[in-house]
Amino acid sequence: MNLRLLVPMLAAALLAAPGVHAAGPLNVVTTTEDLAAIAREVGGDRVKVEALSRGYQDPHFVEAKPSFVLKLNRADLLIAVGRELEIGWLPPLVTQSRNSRIQPGANGYLDASLTARILEIPTGQITRAMGDVHPQGNPHYWLDPGNGRRVAQAIAQKLSTLRRDDAAFFAQREADFAGRLAAAEKRWDALMAPYKGTRVVTYHRSWPNFAERFGLNVIGYVEPRPGIPPSPSHTLDLIQEMKRQNVKLILVEPYFDLKTPNAVARETGARVVVLLPSVGGEKGVEDYIKLFDYDIDTLVSAIKETGAR
Amino acid sequence: MDATVLQFLAAPFAASLILTGIHAYLGVHVVERGVIFVDLSLAQIAALGGTIALLLPFAGHDPHGPWVYWISLAFTLLGAAIFSTIRGHHARIPQEAIIGISYAVASAAAILAMSQSTSEGEHLKHMLVGNILAVSWDEVLKTAALYGVVGVFHYVFRHRFLAISLDPVAAEASGLNVRLWDFLFYASFGFVVTSSVSMAGVLLVFCYLIVPSVAAMLYADRIGTRLAIGWSMGTVVSGLGMFFSVQFDLPTGATMVCTFGLVLVVMAILRPLLRPGLARRDAEAAAVSR
Repeated sequence: MNLRLLVPMLAAALLAAPGVHAAGPLNVVTTTEDLAAIAREVGGDRVKVEALSRGYQDPHFVEAKPSFVLKLNRADLLIAVGRELEIGWLPPLVTQSRNSRIQPGANGYLDASLTARILEIPTGQITRAMGDVHPQGNPHYWLDPGNGRRVAQAIAQKLSTLRRDDAAFFAQREADFAGRLAAAEKRWDALMAPYKGTRVVTYHRSWPNFAERFGLNVIGYVEPRPGIPPSPSHTLDLIQEMKRQNVKLILVEPYFDLKTPNAVARETGARVVVLLPSVGGEKGVEDYIKLFDYDIDTLVSAIKETGAR
Repeated sequence: MDATVLQFLAAPFAASLILTGIHAYLGVHVVERGVIFVDLSLAQIAALGGTIALLLPFAGHDPHGPWVYWISLAFTLLGAAIFSTIRGHHARIPQEAIIGISYAVASAAAILAMSQSTSEGEHLKHMLVGNILAVSWDEVLKTAALYGVVGVFHYVFRHRFLAISLDPVAAEASGLNVRLWDFLFYASFGFVVTSSVSMAGVLLVFCYLIVPSVAAMLYADRIGTRLAIGWSMGTVVSGLGMFFSVQFDLPTGATMVCTFGLVLVVMAILRPLLRPGLARRDAEAAAVSR
């Protein structure tokens, strides 16, 4: 392509960019399938929701495809997890989309973490001794249903500002979702009640919200930093600590390699349990409530079989 | 294909033309010198510099800050100095071995440095594995200007650079300071590769460097002809790779890398038909050496 072709193409691009939107469904793009699931619950048929990453992918590392830029270009609303989770791939794509509606700070951009309960926010000076620190707190907050409810509220409010006429519709759907979620939480709490305080080890620091909500006691991490193999002394300490406290469960996300957790499990007699951090991580786990159904069922049967306490 | 996608591909495509322009040229040198993996090694050394910069308390832990840039550049120059001093025409140790060792040690040292850093590794991986789809016009213009300077530098001194790449013994005999020109070559090369990698990723930059040059060697001996073929191939593959990426909605960089491989295979298959003379000569040479 030469400059003579490029200039008219750019001109066409500039003219076409900020289109006028008719009253069809709002185009909502989310970074993860969890946010997409919640946005569907709230938006119903008044929104068209698409997630960029799939539930079985590590949301820290997503390979950008051309369709991402197109989806972002047409979006009326972009919902991101925030807390720097998508920092490695999302910002340049949002810039590239040349969609002024969804730039950070614009009305069509929603950082879902703003109203959520965030754990592990470092206070004071961050030092090396603290290990792997997310400066803005742990971004895996959606694994607490309480935060699912807060995110649904935030999405309902945001959709209402974008479509004032449908505000009542969104509020009603949000209330309905909150009701079903509360009923499901009773079920999950009943299932987990006998196992409060069960000691577990997790692969990466993805589960603090889940552990807090369902009463698990996380005593250590297999690989505290993603992508960096732990030192031998860290692994030895972990194995000794697991033996001392009789820890029977190692929780791992589906996109991590099982080699290290399996080795630790062999040494300690513990079991490696793959829990899903996201909607879409497994066939049949297609909405937010089913995600917890799957995780709680898997966890409870693993606790029963291993006799973990 | 959706026509609106073209407006987003304009900047990546312009970037890929810039990459073709400089890398197909540098690739001729690299292939002639037989230092195929030098770009991976220099890119890794630069990344190590960036990681170490993030550890320095006064550097502000900002992966896009000036400290990270200058320290990775300093490391690149250090790598260039190493590669230009170990080039011995008399040495028994092949240069490729040193390049491989530098790559392995720099990669491992970067992991060690990362394990000491408080910030997330994502930044660093992002630095090493750029994404050509996300290139902005700003980056394209800046890179074009930088590479333009490097290109002019190489054009002005083209006879010396070619002399040390093609026949270093004769160059030294003629009184040329081979070590100095080697350093200048690796320094400018490292500078280009480090910027390219942060824009397009390691794999794609490697392809832009090596594949056009190898493909051209299938069809021509003269440097000028080889450059023309290399540039044409790079341009065609850039367009084709982006087309495939859009058509089948695949990650752009990886699709372009595979397109490079595909086009090279096609060119190799067509060679006996298009250049029967060259193919026969190579077959005879192979028979003789056997």
